[in-house]
Amino acid sequence: MMIYVALLLLAGGLPYYILLENNKYLNSKQIFLLSGFLLICAIFLSLSLPDDHPDLLVMISFLSAIFSIYKATKTTSFYKLGYYLIFVNAPFFILFQDRGMMYSVSLLVSLTGLYLIAKFYEKNYGSANYGNITGITLVTPCVGTYLSFYLIALALYPPFPNSLFFLSYIFKSQHDLLSYVVVTTLFFGNFFLAMGVMKKTLFGRQNPNIHYVHMTTKEKIIHFIVLIALIVLSVFGLKETL
Amino acid sequence: MEKIILLIPSIPIVIAFLLFFVRNKELIPKVSIMLSSLLALLALSGTYYVITNDTPIVGFGGLLIYNQLSAILVPYVAILGLVIRKYATKYMWDEAGYRRFFILLNFIFSSIYLLVMSNNLIVLALAWQLLSISLYLLVSFNVGSNTAVRHAKWIMVIHKGADLIFIFAIVLVYDTFGSFDLAILSEKWLAMSHNHVENPMVFAIGFLFLMAAMMKSAIMPFHIWLPYTSEAPTPVSAVMHAGVVNVGGILLNKLAYLLLLTPSVLNIAFVVGLVTAIVASVIMLTVSDIKRSLGYSTVGQMGYMIMEVGLGAFSLAIYHLIVHGIFKATLFLGAGSLIGMARHESNLPKRLSYELFWEEKIKSKAKKAFNYLAFFTILPILAFVGVKMILTDDFFEFNASIIILAFAWLTGTQLFVSFFKASKSDSFKMIFALVSSFVLILFTYEFIGMTMEHFLYGNDGLLFYKAATLNVDIIITLIILAVIMIIGWMFMYKRHLEDASEAGNKPAQLKWLFYSFLAKEGYFFSLIKFFKKDNA
Repeated sequence: MMIYVALLLLAGGLPYYILLENNKYLNSKQIFLLSGFLLICAIFLSLSLPDDHPDLLVMISFLSAIFSIYKATKTTSFYKLGYYLIFVNAPFFILFQDRGMMYSVSLLVSLTGLYLIAKFYEKNYGSANYGNITGITLVTPCVGTYLSFYLIALALYPPFPNSLFFLSYIFKSQHDLLSYVVVTTLFFGNFFLAMGVMKKTLFGRQNPNIHYVHMTTKEKIIHFIVLIALIVLSVFGLKETL
Repeated sequence: MEKIILLIPSIPIVIAFLLFFVRNKELIPKVSIMLSSLLALLALSGTYYVITNDTPIVGFGGLLIYNQLSAILVPYVAILGLVIRKYATKYMWDEAGYRRFFILLNFIFSSIYLLVMSNNLIVLALAWQLLSISLYLLVSFNVGSNTAVRHAKWIMVIHKGADLIFIFAIVLVYDTFGSFDLAILSEKWLAMSHNHVENPMVFAIGFLFLMAAMMKSAIMPFHIWLPYTSEAPTPVSAVMHAGVVNVGGILLNKLAYLLLLTPSVLNIAFVVGLVTAIVASVIMLTVSDIKRSLGYSTVGQMGYMIMEVGLGAFSLAIYHLIVHGIFKATLFLGAGSLIGMARHESNLPKRLSYELFWEEKIKSKAKKAFNYLAFFTILPILAFVGVKMILTDDFFEFNASIIILAFAWLTGTQLFVSFFKASKSDSFKMIFALVSSFVLILFTYEFIGMTMEHFLYGNDGLLFYKAATLNVDIIITLIILAVIMIIGWMFMYKRHLEDASEAGNKPAQLKWLFYSFLAKEGYFFSLIKFFKKDNA
C-alpha cells in the first residue's frame, strides 16, 4: 500500500497543494521542473508494481485532478499550466500503472515543448504569462506552429502519441464505472485546458503594445528535435494501438 | 500494384509536408493542385479496378480498404477537393496565412479519405478525431476575428463530444464482439441478423454510433455549430457543407450491418431525421441572415439523410449526400461570381423557367389554378409509383416505402407549386415542361439510387428496409399520410392562391409568436445571452 501512496505523492500533485503552493523559495518554473522530475521517478517506480490499482487511490488522485483542472483554468502562466497538466493526468497514470508509462513519457515530451515555449516567452516578453501575447499564429508563425503542435498533443488529438497511448489503454483494458468517469474527465479536462491557451495566445488580434520576436535558428532546431521525439513516440503509439 | 491506391490518405499529408518548404507563393496552389489531380486519377483508377474486378483492394494488414463505398466516395471527395483548391487559389490570395490554409485543407482531406477507406474501428476513430481538429483549425482560420474563434469553439466542443461517444462505442464493440476489424464484424453482424437479437448492449452500441453521427452531421439538437460558421472563408464553407458534415451518413453506411441488429436505433434515426428535416427547413425560411439560412438548409438536408438511413435506404443516403454536396459546393463557390455579374446587370439572377416559359397573365384565375394544383399534387405520386414499379416491385413490401413516397410527393408538389407561382402561367408548354422534367429527375434519381444499392449491398439491400420497417399497420400509415396530404394541400392552396385577399390583415397573435420563435431559432441564443449577463 505504501508504494501506491508514494506513487500518488510523486505524480498526483499532493506535495504541491500541501507544501509548495504557498512556498516563497520556489518559483513556478522550479516547481514545473520539480513536478516533471517527480513524474519521472513515479514512472520508474511504477515499473515494479503489479498491474492492479486500489480504487481509493484512483479516487483521491481523481479529486486532485478535478481541483487541478479548476486551478489550471485560472492561470495564464505556461509554467503553472505545465505542472497542473501533470497533476491532471495523474489518475490515468495510476489507473493503468506500468501500461500508462508511455502515456506519461509522451506527456513529459509535450510538456518539454511547452517549457521551451515558456522560456521563449520569458526571454522575449518578460514572463511566461501568455495572457496578453495574442495573435501569434499570424505574427510569429513559427512559434505559433510549434505551440499548436504541443497543444494539439496535450488536447489528446491524433496523430500525437498522447492520444494514441490514451486510446490504446482505453481499447485494451477492462473497464468499470470509475475508469469511464476518469477517462471522460481527462478527455475533456486536457482538451479544455489546451483549447483555452489556443484561444488566448494563438488566436486573436496582434497586441500593438508588444514587440513580437521570431525564433532563432537554434530555438527552431531544439523545437524540431522535440517534434521528432513526439513523432517517434507516435510511431510506437500507433503500433501499440493497432 | 493496385495496392498503391491505398496510399491515397497519405498523399495530402505529403502535399502538406512539401508546402512547408515551398518558398514561392505562386507555387503553393500549383503543387497542391498538381498532386491532388494525381490523387483524383488514382481514385478513379481504383474505382475502375473495383468495378471491373468486383473485388475490394485490401492492404496494410487489413486496416485500409478500397471497396464499393470508397469507389463511390473517394473520387467524389478528390474531385471536390480539386475544385475547392482551384477556387481557393485566387480567393485566398490576399488573406494572411495562404500557405497555412492549403496545409490545413490537405489535412482535412486526408482525414476524410482515411475515414472513408478505413476497415478497422481504431483507424476510423483516429480519422474521426483528426477530422475534428482539422476542422477547428480551418474554421478558426481568420484568427483575428473573435466571432470566428468563438464559433469554432462550439464546433470543437460538439465534435469532441462526438469523439468521446465514438470511442466508448468502439470499447463496447470490442467487449461484445471481440474484434476491431470491420470486415469481420460486418460478416458477424450479417450472420446474427438472421435471428432476433435481444442483447441490450447491441442497442447501446448502435445508439452511441448514431449519436456520434448525429453530432458530426449537425442533426438537431447538435446542429448549432453549422449555421454559425459562415465567417470561415468560402472554400472552408464549401468543404464543410459538401464534405465534413456528411461523415455521419458515411459512418452509418460503414456500420449498416450493425444497424440491422438494432431496428429500434433505425426508428430513432428516422424520427430524429424527420424532425430535423422539418424544423431546420422551416427555420431556414424564417431566419433573416442568408448565410445562416444556407446553414439551416444543410441541417435540413442532413436530417433527410439520417431519415433515409432510418428507413433502411442506406445507399440513397449516400446518393443524397453526394448530390447535396455538389449542389451546396456550387452554391458557395458560385456566389462570388454571381454577385460580380449582378453588379453589372441588375436583373440577375435570372430563372431558366422565366426565360423559356414566361407568359404574363395579369389576372390570376384562382379556381382554374386550384384544379391545376390538384392535378399537380396527385401527379407526383403517380409518377413516383410508376417509376418505382418499373424499377422494382419488392420495394412496396415495406411500409418505409410509404414515407419515401410521401417525401417524393412533398418535393414534387413543392417543385410544381414554386414554378407555378413564379410564373403565374398556366400554359401547356409550362405544364409539359414541369411534368417531363419531374419524371426525368425522378427516374434518374431512382435509377441511380437502385444501381447504387445493388453496387454497395447487392442482395442485402432489402434486408435494411425489412429491419427498418416501422411497427405500424399499413392502413393506419396510409390514413395518417392522407390526412397530412390533405392538410398540406389546403394550407398551400390558402397560402399561395388566396393570399391576395388577406393582404391587409394582421397575422394572428399565435401565428406571430410561432414565427418569432422560429426566426429566433427557439430563443436558444437569447437564453445563453441571458445567463451570461446573469453570471456577469
